[in-house]
Amino acid sequence: MDFALNETQRMLVEGAERLMKSRGTVELWRSRRSLPDGLDIDAWNQFSELGWLALPIPEEAGGLGGSMEDVAFLMIALGKGLSTEPYVSSAVLCAHIIGHGLENSFTDATIAGIAAGELRVALAHMEIADRFEVATPRSTTARAMGNGFVLNGTKILSMDAPSADRLIVSAIRGHGESTSLFLVDRNTPGISMTTYPLIDGSQAADLHFSDVSITSDALIAEGAEAISLLEAALDRATVALLGQAVGSMEACLDICSSYLKERKQFGQPLGNFQALQHMAADMLVATHQSRSILYHAIAQIDEQPSLRGRAVSAAKVIIGNAVQLVSKYGIQIHGGYGLTDEYAIGHHYRRLMVLEKVYGDIEYHSKRLVDFTTGHVKHGN
Amino acid sequence: MDLKFTREDAEFREEMRASLNAILPEDIRASVRAQTTMASHLGDQRRWFQILDQHGWAVPHWPVQHGGTGWSPLRRFIFEDEMHSADAPEFNWGGSHMVGPVIYTFGSLAQQEKFLKPTRSGKIAWAQGFSEPGSGSDLASLRTNAKLQTGHYLVNGQKIWTSGAYEADWGFFLVKTDLTVKPQRGMSFLLIDMKSPGITIRQIPQINGEAHLCEVFLDNVVVPAENLVGEPGQGWTYAKFLLEHERTTSSFIFWSKRELRKAKRIAASETWGGIPLAQRPEFCAKIALLEAEMQALEWSVLRILADETYGYPAGVAASVVKIRGSELQQDITQLQADLLGARALRYYNPDTSLYEKSLIWPDYVPGRSGIAMMIRAATIYGGSKQIQKNIIAKSAFGL
Repeated sequence: MDFALNETQRMLVEGAERLMKSRGTVELWRSRRSLPDGLDIDAWNQFSELGWLALPIPEEAGGLGGSMEDVAFLMIALGKGLSTEPYVSSAVLCAHIIGHGLENSFTDATIAGIAAGELRVALAHMEIADRFEVATPRSTTARAMGNGFVLNGTKILSMDAPSADRLIVSAIRGHGESTSLFLVDRNTPGISMTTYPLIDGSQAADLHFSDVSITSDALIAEGAEAISLLEAALDRATVALLGQAVGSMEACLDICSSYLKERKQFGQPLGNFQALQHMAADMLVATHQSRSILYHAIAQIDEQPSLRGRAVSAAKVIIGNAVQLVSKYGIQIHGGYGLTDEYAIGHHYRRLMVLEKVYGDIEYHSKRLVDFTTGHVKHGN
Repeated sequence: MDLKFTREDAEFREEMRASLNAILPEDIRASVRAQTTMASHLGDQRRWFQILDQHGWAVPHWPVQHGGTGWSPLRRFIFEDEMHSADAPEFNWGGSHMVGPVIYTFGSLAQQEKFLKPTRSGKIAWAQGFSEPGSGSDLASLRTNAKLQTGHYLVNGQKIWTSGAYEADWGFFLVKTDLTVKPQRGMSFLLIDMKSPGITIRQIPQINGEAHLCEVFLDNVVVPAENLVGEPGQGWTYAKFLLEHERTTSSFIFWSKRELRKAKRIAASETWGGIPLAQRPEFCAKIALLEAEMQALEWSVLRILADETYGYPAGVAASVVKIRGSELQQDITQLQADLLGARALRYYNPDTSLYEKSLIWPDYVPGRSGIAMMIRAATIYGGSKQIQKNIIAKSAFGL
C-alpha cells in the first residue's frame, strides 16, 4: 500500500489546483448563473486541452486510460474550486455506459468526441415515482417501429442535460419488461426540454419524449445487462462526485480556520473560543473520515457488483453525513456572513447539498448498504 | 398541578379558529401558503394587522391601554397557535415584539402617541439597527455614534443584518452617545425615520436568492433629539429588556408546528417503491422523533408561560427554548428537503411567489430547500447557539 501520489497524479493535481485557484472565486461562481445552459465553455475547453476529459476513457477508445484513483484526485481538486462543469455526467457516467454497451456504428466516434470535449452526453433515467431506484421499470416506452423505436414518456432531473448534445435514455420495450438504454441526439424531433437551475448554479432538465423516432442501433444495452451497466456507471459517477465533496469539505476547513483567526469578537479572534475550536475539530474529523471512506470505495470500484455497491453506498452515507455537518458548521462559524451569496462558505454549502443528493441521497444509500450487508439484494423496493 | 387545557381554553381556541378563518382574506392566506421566502410579504402583513387591529387582536401581549387584549399568557399562546394554523402572516416582530414594548415601557408620552397605534395596525414597519460589521455576538463593541447638537443628534456609522430595511418606515437603533464611559453605559436607543437624508441601504444577496437582509449606512443623519427613547446612556438596558422581554418567542414553536405539518404532507404525497414516505422506515421514524421533540418544546414553552419555578434563574429556560427551538426549525426544514430527494435541489427564485405547479413539481416543492438553507440563521441571530450555551453555563451553574 502506498498513499503517495505518483508523478503523473502529482502533476495532474497540481495543474488542477492551479486552474481552480483562478476559477475558484466567488465572483466567478456568481457570474456563471447567467450562462444560458449553465456551461462555462471557457472552462470546458480548458478541461479538454488539459486532457482531463480523456482521463477516465480507456486508451483503446482514444482516452488516457486513467484509473479511478486518478479521476478521484482530479475530482478532489475540482471540488476545492467548486467546479460545476458536467465532467462527471459526461466523461465518467455516460462515457462508461457507452463504452461498455453494445457496439454500434457511432460508439467509437461518440467516445472519442467525449474524450476530446467535443460532445457532451447526459443521462435521462429518473422518473417521477422512482426516487433514486435504478432498477425499477420505467414508464417511458420504446415501441419497436419499422427499423427502429419510438420513444414516449417523461424524464425528470436530468443533470447537465441543458448543455448536452446527446442523451442516454432508459425506457421499457413493452409492458412489464425491463429497461433498455438508448443513445439519442438531443435535437431529435419530438424531444422537448424544461430546463431549470439547481441551487449550486448548475442546470438540469425535465425531458418530454413525444413519438420520438430513433434507429435500431441507438440501443446501447437491454435487460439485466442494462441495469448492471447503469449500476456500475452510477457507482463510478458517485465516487467521482464524492471526490468533489471531499475537495469541497477540505476547502471549507481552510476557509473556516482562516476566518476563525481573522474575525475578532470580544477583543480576540473567534478561534480563541473553545466552543468554536471544537466545531472546527469536528469538521476535520468528518472530513478526514470522508477521504478515508472514499479510498475504500475507490479500492472496490472494479470488484464484483455487490462488493463495489456496498463500498460506494458506504462512502455515500459517511460522506453525506459529513457534508451536512461540515457545511452547516461552516455557516455557523461565519455567523450572518455565511448566509450571504458574497462569502465562499455559502457556495460550498449549496454545492455540498447537491453532491449529497445526486445519484441517491443518504436514505437511499443507507438502504442499499443494508441490503448489500444483509445479503438482501433486491431491486425495486 | 393540572396539565390539561380547561374547557374554556378549548372553547376559546374554537372561537379564535372560526374568527381568524372568517377574517383572513383568502388572497393573503394563499400568499402565505405559497411563500418561498423566510418572512411574509410586508404588504400582506400590513393589511392583515390592520384587520386584526380592528378586532383588537393585533398585539395581544401589549398592555390593554395600548391596544393589548388582557388575555392570559396561555390564551395568547392559543391565539398565536391558531394564527399559524390559519396560515396567516406572522407578526412584524420588530414593531410588535421589540420596539413596541420598549416604547410603551420607557418611551415618552409623545413617542407613545406617535408610534404605538400605527405600529400595531401595520402602518409603521420597523427595522432593527443593532448588529454592525464588527459587532455580531459582541454587541457592546458597536461603533455607530450619535453626537448631540442643538436639538438633534448627528448619526454616523454602519449597521448590518437589518431585515427589510429597504421597505421599513422607521428603525430603532443602538448608538453610542457617550464615548467616555464603559461601552454598556454609553449607548442610547434612537428612533430614526428610514427616509432621512444620509441613510443608504444595500440589500445583501442571500444564499437562497433573497435580498431581505440589509446593510444600513448612516452618514451625517440628522435625528431630532426627541427621538431618543428614555434616558441617554440606557440603550444597553433597553436592548437587553427587548431581547429578554418575550422569553418564549424565540422557540418559534408555532412556526415549527406549521412546518412539521408541511413535512407530513410531503411525506404522505411522495412515494418510494410505491409506498408513501410517511410509511417508509427511512422517514417515518424521523418524523415521529421530530414530533416528539416538538411536544417537549411546546411543554417547555408552556412552563415558561406559567412562570413555573424550577430551581434555576428564569433566563435559563428562555435559552433552552431558544437553543432547542432553533435546532428544531433547522431539523424540520432539513427533513422537508430530504423528503423531496433530488427535487429539493431545484432553485426557485424567492421573488416569484407563484410557480406553475405540475405533477412533477407540486406546490409543496418551491421554497423548501431555500428556507432550509436560510434557517441556518436561527442558531445565529438573537444570541447564537454558542452564546446561549455560555448563558446557561454561567447563570445555571455559575461557571
